[in-house]
Amino acid sequence: MGVMFNPLRSAGGSASTERLRVLADEELMQLVYRSKADAFEVIYDRHAGAAFSLAYRICSQRALAEDVVQEAFLSLWHSRTRYDRNRGSVRTWLLGIVHNRAIDALRRRSVRDRGLVHDEGIEERMVAPDRTDLEVARREEAREIRDALDELPQEQSQVIELAYFGGMTHVQIAAKLQMPVGTIKGRMRLGLSKMRMALGDPAEMVQ
Amino acid sequence: MSVEDRQLCGDNAAPYVLGALEEHEHEEFRRHLESCAVCREEVAALEVVTGALPAAVEQRSAPAELKQRVMASIHEDIRSETARELSGKRARSARGPALAWLSWRALAPGALAAAAIVLAVVALSSGGGSSSSTTRVFHAQAPAGADVSLRVSDGRGQLDISGMPQTPPQRIYEVWVKRSGGPQPTDALFTVTSKGDATVGVPGSLKGATVVMVTAEPLGGTKVPTSTPVIVANLS
Repeated sequence: MGVMFNPLRSAGGSASTERLRVLADEELMQLVYRSKADAFEVIYDRHAGAAFSLAYRICSQRALAEDVVQEAFLSLWHSRTRYDRNRGSVRTWLLGIVHNRAIDALRRRSVRDRGLVHDEGIEERMVAPDRTDLEVARREEAREIRDALDELPQEQSQVIELAYFGGMTHVQIAAKLQMPVGTIKGRMRLGLSKMRMALGDPAEMVQ
Repeated sequence: MSVEDRQLCGDNAAPYVLGALEEHEHEEFRRHLESCAVCREEVAALEVVTGALPAAVEQRSAPAELKQRVMASIHEDIRSETARELSGKRARSARGPALAWLSWRALAPGALAAAAIVLAVVALSSGGGSSSSTTRVFHAQAPAGADVSLRVSDGRGQLDISGMPQTPPQRIYEVWVKRSGGPQPTDALFTVTSKGDATVGVPGSLKGATVVMVTAEPLGGTKVPTSTPVIVANLS
């Protein structure tokens, strides 16, 4: 489905948008609640890279990843009145939507298409955003998460990656690895529990 | 959580937070969580990890054109909300001042011929298209590779578009309706998906309309066309 644009004459990248960039996500969402597009634009600018990166990691196709991200941001917009800051950060909420939709898209794809990876845009690495304290903290956290995943025994990281990034159910993973379902569930639990311990206090994690 | 607890609860917390339960299992476990504090606690602990996993992937920049598509949808949504609010307050006849018109002659054969060079416009089907009891379908001129039809039902029109090129940077597609005079702007501004697809409702009634067309305009749209049409659906 295509998307339509409002004829209200808007000024993208305006001074008001620049002023909004100093606000925290939760403050921006109060404006988004009141249908302020410029506040939503700042939310988009702040998280589009992470959203696209996750969608691309799961879908492996740029066009599909773009559609997933577009759907996720529109879903965020349409459900803006239901946002509850007590239930998690905007980023976590958005990336949860991206993950669900990317997995749905992946599962809809035919088996024949699943081998198509790195089709385009693979060379597009992240253009380093402004080196704000928040970005520095996020990069440090990303490194810690990658380290925690890398340090797991291979059989544990494998089932986590097949499930989370590959969209496979525990039954499918068990069939693929020719292991009992209970073994797969146990590996998932052990792997996630170890990562949980490695990541430390969740209150210190960057949102 | 003890081994006994896990066995009792199916050891489903980890596959649940990873989205790896079968659909029926997922629903069953979700209901189970409502009554099992032990599993709720385990899920909350493991969700910290799955919430962090997106950061583990290689970071990339989102394509610039994607922002244009997203924000176009947001602005359209706001416009629709505003229109709905206004429609509850104002009589239809009390809408704003008439918009400026552009002489249709400015877009007549010469301009369309130029468009044909660039856009390889395919032939317009003559005779007005097929019809059913209440729906008529008109095939439209469109760029090469695109397939566009205008479906008119009870005076309301909808453009079904596939294979359209993406709009140029800082441009948006705008729908126009021509009756006896020049093309009249509509509120319908849109972009297409990565596959070039879109389904666009033509605002208002098409009663008396002779042509529905689409041009690529600056973001926010214009009151008069500033470019040659890329889609032309002839209703006459």
